[in-house]
Amino acid sequence: MLDLLAFGDAGWGDELLQGAAVTIVLAISAYLLGIAIGMGAAAMKLSGSLILRAIAGAYTTVVRGVPELLVIYLFFFGSSGAIQNVASVFGYTGYLELPPFAVGLLAVGLISGAYSTEVIRGALQVIPEGQIEAGRAIGMTGRQIFWRIKLPQLWRFALPGLGNVWQLTLKDTALVSVTSLAELMRMSFVAAGSTREPFLFYVTAAILYLAMTTVSQALFQRGERAASRGVRMA
Amino acid sequence: MTRNLSLLAGIAVAAMAGTAVAQDVRIGTEGAYPPWNYTESDGTLAGFEIDLGNAICEHNGWTCEWVAQDWDGIIPALQNGRYDAIMAGMSITAERDEVIDFSHGYMTTPAHFAVAADSDMAAELAEADAATMLAALDGAVVGVQVGTIHQNLIEQELPGADLRFYDTQDQLNLDLVAGRVDAGLADVNTWTEFNEAEGAEAIALIGPGLTGADYPVLGVGVGVGLREDDDELQAAFNEAICALSNDGTIATMTEEWFGFDASLPCPE
Repeated sequence: MLDLLAFGDAGWGDELLQGAAVTIVLAISAYLLGIAIGMGAAAMKLSGSLILRAIAGAYTTVVRGVPELLVIYLFFFGSSGAIQNVASVFGYTGYLELPPFAVGLLAVGLISGAYSTEVIRGALQVIPEGQIEAGRAIGMTGRQIFWRIKLPQLWRFALPGLGNVWQLTLKDTALVSVTSLAELMRMSFVAAGSTREPFLFYVTAAILYLAMTTVSQALFQRGERAASRGVRMA
Repeated sequence: MTRNLSLLAGIAVAAMAGTAVAQDVRIGTEGAYPPWNYTESDGTLAGFEIDLGNAICEHNGWTCEWVAQDWDGIIPALQNGRYDAIMAGMSITAERDEVIDFSHGYMTTPAHFAVAADSDMAAELAEADAATMLAALDGAVVGVQVGTIHQNLIEQELPGADLRFYDTQDQLNLDLVAGRVDAGLADVNTWTEFNEAEGAEAIALIGPGLTGADYPVLGVGVGVGLREDDDELQAAFNEAICALSNDGTIATMTEEWFGFDASLPCPE
């Protein structure tokens, strides 16, 4: 039975590893996109502008409040309709779609970003107001305060929460399998269905996911230690 | 950015190329439902419907492209234009016919109830007629893959049963063998194939095979799913299916893939 996991054309080993590679690339890029969105949205949430606060608030409320699968379906079926509308302006009436990877990246990145927003907002609020005032008192500009005072401490406060968001993001990529992107979940589903050995392939996929989360957890722990150097641990 | 550029380039090229080339037809399939359609371990699609689809394309002189699509989104993706036709073991039903069109049926397989081979019901109901079997099952725990004609049948015929719905046939198979459901309903060859893969008679058929002749919810066979306004494509598929049914091609193919002749006569 294990020969089904062989590499090459005779087995599914190489397909599963390729799927795992797609999963890793998708998860990392969606996570980074999510952190970029999170930084922006957190800044909006803490800004003085009522409109910016409302936009960021609506974003995190909506995205965190509806099922992830639904967000992915909306992007998958919505994006091709939108692109075709644009294309029809240029006189093209055939079928166009975003590559499934791009759909997955946008959808998972947007979900990941909503959770990152809250983590980053919380971390920013932990930084004592006195430090910011001190910065202002010695004549630092807003940008200098951000780079020299907020950002170095932000990582220390945000990393534990962002580690959680990473694990969520990694697992959310499995939902992108509904777009038939050949990531780990989709490959195991196809292999399980085609060989009628669901247990073998789902257990293999579970082990691969677990390996990814275990390795990344260790990396995050090192990151947390590095971010906390110079701070006395209680 | 490069993606945007290539997209724009694609639009420009497509707009200039017009429609003068030989017709391209894209066919969507699930790729995980043997022997209808499945994926080989080298990643290529195979199965009865891949063979039949390619034969239809050859008959009509089309250039065909296969698109793998998860079952849950298979009808929306057709309506959205991701492909032009569905060949994925999809039975023709009134429910589906409201949202998409179908070609003539190209094959049919009877539905069959099955139970774990070591259960009491396996012995009691092996030779039962349909009425006896349905009476015995009304009150049992019965599993079925969600969104199938089999779900419609058990909902209609077994009002007193404890119904369990599964996303995939694999999950139902596992629960049936594990004893978490008493009986399941699926195409007859789904069960025989499972036993073959297990290398054991883990699942036993009970009662007779059920067909659309006696139970209209079971539909009139498996057909090609098409968009409602695609009348030209529908006519071309119908003509090809009739030709391949009349000359015995479909009979030979189903013998090869299912072990029995599952072809349908061309409707008048």
